[in-house]
Formats: sequence, structure tokens, C-alpha cells
Amino acid sequence: MAYGRISRLRALAARVLGLLGPRKSDNDFDEELQTHLQLLVDRFVAQGMSREDAAAAARRQFGNTTLLQEDRRELRTLVSVEDLGRDLRYTLRSLGRSRAFVAVAIATLGLGIGASTAIFSVIDNVLLEPFPYKDPGRMVFLRIHDAARGEEGERQGYTSNEFLEFAGQNHVFDGVIAASDDLVLYKHGEGVELLYGADVTPGTFEFFGMPALYGRVMRPADYQPGAPPVFVMRHKTWMERFNGDPGVLNKTFVLNGTARTLIGIMPPRFGWYEADVLIPEMPVPGVSTGFAGLPARWFLLGRLKRGVSKAQAAADATVIANHLAKINPQDYPAHFQVFVKMLGDTVIGRFESTLYTILAAVGMLLLIGCGNVANLMLARATSREKEFALRAVLGAGRARLVRLLLIESLVLAIGGTALGVLIAWGGLKLIVAAMPQNFIPAESVIELNAPAMAFTLVVAVLTAVIFGLAPALQIARRDLNDPLRDSGKGVVGGFRSGRMRDTVVVMEVAVSLTLLIGAGLLMRSFVALREVHLGLQADHVFQTQLRLPEDRYKTAAQVRGFFQPLLARVKALPGVVDATESGALPPYGGMDTKIEISGKSHESEWHALLQQVSEGYFRVLRIPFTGGRAFSESEINDARKVAVVNETFVSTYLRGENPIGRRVQLAGLENLADPVREPWFEIVGVAADVTNQGLEAPIEPEAWVPYTVTGSGAQVLMVRSQQTPMALMNDVRQAVWATDSGVALAFPSALEDRISQRLYASPRFAFLLMTILGCLGLILVTVGVYSVLAYATTRKTQEIGIRLALGAERGDVLRWVIRAGLRLVTAGAAIGLLVSLLLGRAIEAELWRGVKPYDPATLAGTTLLLVATGALACWIPARRAARVDPMTALRYE
Amino acid sequence: MTDAKKSEVLQGTLDLMILKTLHALGPQHGFGIARRIEQVSRDVLQLNEGTVYTSLLRLLQQKWIAAEWGTSDNNRKAKYYSITARGEKQLAVETENWERISGVVGRVLQLEEEK
Repeated sequence: MAYGRISRLRALAARVLGLLGPRKSDNDFDEELQTHLQLLVDRFVAQGMSREDAAAAARRQFGNTTLLQEDRRELRTLVSVEDLGRDLRYTLRSLGRSRAFVAVAIATLGLGIGASTAIFSVIDNVLLEPFPYKDPGRMVFLRIHDAARGEEGERQGYTSNEFLEFAGQNHVFDGVIAASDDLVLYKHGEGVELLYGADVTPGTFEFFGMPALYGRVMRPADYQPGAPPVFVMRHKTWMERFNGDPGVLNKTFVLNGTARTLIGIMPPRFGWYEADVLIPEMPVPGVSTGFAGLPARWFLLGRLKRGVSKAQAAADATVIANHLAKINPQDYPAHFQVFVKMLGDTVIGRFESTLYTILAAVGMLLLIGCGNVANLMLARATSREKEFALRAVLGAGRARLVRLLLIESLVLAIGGTALGVLIAWGGLKLIVAAMPQNFIPAESVIELNAPAMAFTLVVAVLTAVIFGLAPALQIARRDLNDPLRDSGKGVVGGFRSGRMRDTVVVMEVAVSLTLLIGAGLLMRSFVALREVHLGLQADHVFQTQLRLPEDRYKTAAQVRGFFQPLLARVKALPGVVDATESGALPPYGGMDTKIEISGKSHESEWHALLQQVSEGYFRVLRIPFTGGRAFSESEINDARKVAVVNETFVSTYLRGENPIGRRVQLAGLENLADPVREPWFEIVGVAADVTNQGLEAPIEPEAWVPYTVTGSGAQVLMVRSQQTPMALMNDVRQAVWATDSGVALAFPSALEDRISQRLYASPRFAFLLMTILGCLGLILVTVGVYSVLAYATTRKTQEIGIRLALGAERGDVLRWVIRAGLRLVTAGAAIGLLVSLLLGRAIEAELWRGVKPYDPATLAGTTLLLVATGALACWIPARRAARVDPMTALRYE
Repeated sequence: MTDAKKSEVLQGTLDLMILKTLHALGPQHGFGIARRIEQVSRDVLQLNEGTVYTSLLRLLQQKWIAAEWGTSDNNRKAKYYSITARGEKQLAVETENWERISGVVGRVLQLEEEK
């Protein structure tokens, strides 16, 4: 009977269902056959046979039941288990005979799969699922942009009044909480330690929906005035400072002079505000002071109601902000916008695009790897044409041959996956070590996880199908009798299927060059970033932030009473060149303030950064003066209202005028806990520009004033030394504690290291990983080019032998092979260059300003590197071809 | 035995014969189908009765026949097969095909003899 195409589809569907269906029908079938046999026996017995004869006759008439069962299984399922086992055994045996092939294939796949799993793990943990909280996707914060000032004129800290307004008047949030910085001095037997704390508002723990690991979280009663003081600790802090000792729970600690009971330790992944300790605080209407006597600023976090979009939330928040701007016009720019940002935006920012760039690079590496394996498989399949043809002639169906190849691919893919998981595991450890701090959410834990594993499996199976199918399809398409007639090693042999291999090599070279150019651009960008002129000399400077106990250091006189003797002590230390107090750490300026300049009127608001310093500041950082002079020691000691401004200040507000002697009002000083009345200062000097907004943002106008004018503000000690700055660490600490044993040193480090950690870490990470990936890609491509050429020359040994016998020079053969190889490499390089130029926009965001995606030096350098490596890969098989003995080659015929 | 005289069943024709049997006799179990073919072919065909079941499975997969457990005349549990509407259609098509082809083959064979 004729079974058409539809019938075959129907049968296939039945087989697929048969795979899923219950196995019970096998027994049914058996029973059916036994019944039939029994009926036959009964019939023969009725005809007068003996039982034994009847049974034998019945079996004869019925046929072989075992064969029948097998037929049936073949009909019911896609692959019979016996066949699969046979194919698998055969595959393992044949792979065992070509160990080099297996090693290269598995190593190539392992690298690709391992690298992509590692990066995917990072991306999943950092970008996709960083927060362990309830509905993190609806957690947003508010940012107010000054429409006139663009990026830098933004604010995300709010006063207590503003927090209460946003929390109480909105229609778009389920809940609003806030946190505020609080450096916590923690006193214990041996001295003082510093913890990074956060004051948190009522409802914070309910908002995140996370219970404590030990003890309890805060209850509404804990926020009430007069409630017993309590606090909650982060898991990391508990482990690092207290070795995970459960005995600290319910103990009392003196934090910033208040005895507080530790009521709970949070689970490891709780990382809100990255705070070591969380302290309950109920914001109350009116002006409140926060850390270091500066006005309290709350960072707001709201949970969007279900179905509310970011745009709706922004519109609602704008209404509230407009109302607040009417009450407190000094806190709001004339024109502003309210932006609603996701919780993840707080930390990840630009790092997100870095990670995706690396993921793309890893994808390219995987592509090269697959290309290599496909080529190896193709070459292998071509040299096995005769074997396959023989199998076909002996009755193996094409489906069966294709299945054999797919099994081979799968075996390699499984080997590659196993190796890949190992590589991913090790690579992840390296990545975590190289990962820049402060660029990923504190909550994210980077590990190989289930989604990453699933991703690996998908990649492995896809890889197997992609590279297994290419040769399999080629076999299936061909007339299987051809190879039997063709000796397979003749003059023409190997050219027919050569085009596919050539295409794969050209693709590999193109992808590899794209990868190398990306790595090269990031490297150049990194070098350019390192060369950015800070405007100051950060080498040989030791810095530490100092946390003065608030109860004893409120006024300017009290602060001066600490710093004057401290600076004298430090300057007297051996090896110290100079020392200074400062309100901020380069490359950042101090607080933002509105300013007025005598005799100047203006419509828009004028702003400047403001830093309090002592007289040694400009000497310690070696900042030159372009006009006027630095502060004198007596000006500092007498808290004279004098100021030094930077060049940008002059060129922005006093262009073409003599700034010396002009008077400037620094309004921000009025709002401090220790306010400066009538904050008009006389400009005495103009300092050269120093980066004060990080490396990438333009320099802002800045003013420096004596630190002695107010007792508020952050305090930093910077010391210029003759030797390695960190060698001063102990001496400086002794000097600090000799002055006041209640003062803590926070984050002491060499200024240079701090700058490089903060600013270079992310680009360094990107360029490091890209370089590693680029090199791996280059190695894989070299192997790819080599294997294709080596294979082709082996196939053409006879042709070469004939040419040599007919008088060709060995040099001709060498040139002939190298030219054939280089043609592929240059074709790939040309495509790669083109693709890189087209992709330039994608990587441009990753590049430091000044480095263009079509940077000629990088393009030329990487292309040259690739072509040179490609030439090397051609040279080895070419030399082998040139050494062919014509007699040996011809004798094979 | 006298197997030498018997002809092998042509591949594919068994499916057609089973369809026709089910069409003519209504629901049957495998043993009944084998008996019917044996009876009709009058011992001309050599049939491994087991192959009937392979054929039945093929037909089931095409949904040309349906199967159902029932009890046989002598109270044995047996699977009864019946032809479906789709099977009837297929039978009509295949019968016509068969007649046309066997007609052509017959005519060709006659030509051979006249030569």
C-alpha cells in the first residue's frame, strides 16, 4: 500500500507520542500475541495433533515473536535502544582512535561554553535577579533634575519634610521608605571602630519583606520617641567583625555615644543601603541634622502600586515636588524634572553595558569555537565518505547515517559541556576577584546557578546540532556511490566540499578580528583614561577620613582644637613632607552651594562646589596657582573669611575681570548644623583646575575656604610623604589617637590607589576580560586556519607530488599553500574590519572620550596581529607540504 | 511442509487485505483476521501470522483502523479492530489503485506470452 507524505507525518506523530505514552502497551501487545498463539495451538489440537506438535506448528505458522516485538518497537519509537547503544559504542570507539581531534574539539567547545556560562552567571546574578526582595521590579527612587544644568544638576537626597510629603501625599506608591547616611563610631574595649550605618524609616523591613536570620527586625514601636534604642546588623558585618558569633545578639553596643541593643542579624543577601548597621529613625517635620552636622538627606525608595507605570509615578511626584518648590523655593531649581529610576539603577549604571559588551564578545568566542568544531567535523566527515558510502550500500538508511553523526556531535558536546562547567567554575572565581567593587548591587551573590546551567545545556545542545548538522546534511545530500568510485585522494579530490570549510574559516577570522578590535579599543581607552590629567599629583599621598565623636565636636573651635595639634604632630613625623585637613577627596570637590558675587547680577542660579581646607592643601596635592596666593597659616587659625577659587570659577562667573579682592557669598554655609553667618568671602587666590566631578564629567566652578569657619562637614586628613604612603599608616594612627583616642580612621589608603579603584576598576575589568577573550579567539582561529590548511594539503599530497615530479620548486609549493591560506585570512580580515566599523557605535559608549571606534592605530595593529598569526598557521602545513617526497606521494596511487 | 508452493505476501498488500477484511466482516481480533485471510487465500499465500500485528499497528498509526479491548466467543480477553471512516476512504482509493495496477500488470504479462 502506498504511504504518502502525510501518512509519514502521521506515523511520525504517533511515534513521538509513543515516546511519551505509557509503556504498559508493550505488555498488552505481548498478551495479544500469546492469545493468538494459544488459539492456534487449540485449533491444531482439535485437528488431532499432540500438544507438543501443536505448539511447534503454531510457532511456525505465527513466526518469530522476538522479531515482531522489535518491528513493533521500531514502528512505535524514533530510535530503538539497541541501535542507539550500538551507535554510541561505535562512536566512542571511533573517537577513541582520533584522540587529537577529540582533544581539540572538546577544548574548543569547553572554552566557548565555559566562558559563556561564566559571563551569563554574572549577568544573571548582577543584572537580571540581583535583589532578593519582594517585588524588586516595582521598587523605584526619585531624582530631581535641573532642566537648565543637565546631568550634574541632579538631586536624590531629600529633607525630612520632603520625605513626609512624598510619603503622605502620593497616589502611586504602596509604600515609601527612606534611608540616610550615618557613620557610626562603635566603642569597644580596645578603642574605636567605624561602621557604615544607615538611619532607616518606619516600615523599612516590611517594605523589603525579609525576616531576620537571627533575632528580629524592627517593629513600629522601635521608632517611637522614648523607645529603648535598638539596631539591626548586616550578615557580612556580623561575619567579618564578630566571626558570626551568635552571642552578640541582644548585647548592648555604644554607637555614636548611645547604648543600643542588637536585636537582629539579617540574612546574607540583605544589603539595603550597603549599611553595616541599621538604626531606626522617625523623620519629623522641620530641619534636622544628619551626619557630620550637614543637613539630613534622605534617599527615598517607593514601591509602585500594581499597574502604575514609571511615567504615571513621575507625573504624580511632579505635582508634589511643585508644591514643595513653592514652600521652599531655595531647594528647587527654576525649571526641573522628576525622574523615576529603578532600584537597580542605583549601582549598576554604566557597568550594565560593559557586561553586555562582554557577553557579546563571549558569544563571538563561542561562534568561533563552533566554527572550529564544525570544520573539524567536516574534514573528518569528508575523509570518512567511503566508510559512509559503504554503510549506505550495505543498507544503512540516510537517517541512520545522520543519526550517527549527530550522536558523535552530542558526545563531543557533552564532553565540551563537562569541561565548560569546570572552566566556568574557575573563570567565575577569577571574574569575581577582578570585578570592580561598588559597581554591582550589594545583594547580588555571583555563583553558578540553575539558570546559568540551563543556559549551558541549551548552548551545548545547539552547538551539537549546529556543527553536527553541517556535515550530516552534506553526507545526506550527496550521491553515496560517488565516493566509492573516487579514490578520494586524487588531484580533484577535496575541492568539492572545500568551499564550506573555507566559508567557515573566513567567518571565524572575521569574528576574531571583530573581537580583537574590540579588545584593542578598550585597551586604548583604558590607557587614555590613565593619562587624564587630574590637575594634582596623587602619588605619595596618604589619606584617611576621620570621624570625630559628635557630642564633643560641634563647633568650629572644637574641631580646630583637634586638628591644630594633629597636623603639627603628623608634620613632625619622619618622612612626612606636609599634611592638611580637607572636606573632600579628589577627584571630587566638596558640597554644592549657591553663590552670589558682589557687583554681579544674574538671572539663573549660580552654583559652585565648596571645600573646607587647611593651608597645606594646595602644597600636599601640588596644585599650582595662576593668580593671587594660598591661605596663610594665620588666616586659617583666625578663621578669616577668605576664599581661593579655581580657574573655571573665574572663567564662568568673572570672565575678563580681576577676581582677586572680589567678594563671594557661599550660601550653603548658612544651612550647616554649625552655620556661618553672613557667609561673604574675599577671593585671595586662583588655583589651577583640578578634576572635581570624577574623571569623565567636566570641571565645575569650585571655592575653598578655611576649615575653621564651621565645625560641620566631613573631615579628611591628607599627608604627603617621601616614601610609600601606606608606610605612614601606623604613625598617623598613633598621632590621631594621641590627640583624641575617641576618633576613628575610616578607609585609610594611598590616594592614588583609591582613585584607581574608584575610577579605573570598571574600564580595567572590561579591557582585561576583552583581552583574554580576544586572545582565546586568536588561538582558536589559529587552530582553525591550521587545521583546514593541514587537512587540505594532506588531501592534495598526490597533486603536490606530481607537481614536484614535473619540476615545481619546493618554494613554489610553499608559496602556493601559504597563498591559499592567506586568501582566506585576508578575506576574513576584510569582512571583520567592515563589521567592526558597523558595530563601532555599539562599543562607542564603552570608550573614553577621545578614543574613536575607528581608531586607525588600533585597527591597523589588530589586523596586522591577526594576519601575522594567520600566516604562521599557514606556514606549518605549507612547510610540511613542501617536504613531500614525490616518490612516496605517487606510490599511493 | 508444502511451503515451497506458497507465494510470499507482497509487501504492502497485507495492509490492504486487512482493511478489506475489516470492511467486509466488521470488528475482528487478530486471530480472526488471520483465519479469514487463510480461508480466502485457500492456502495459496504463505503468511507469518505475526506480521498481521505489525500491519495492524501501521494501520492504527494512520488512524485507518481503531482498536478496543473486548471478550471473544470463548470468553477470552481480545483486542478488536474495526475500520474507521478514514480507513474506508483509504480502502476505496487503494482498491481502485490495485485494480488499475493489477490490470496493467496482467496485460503486460499477456503481451509477454504473445511474443
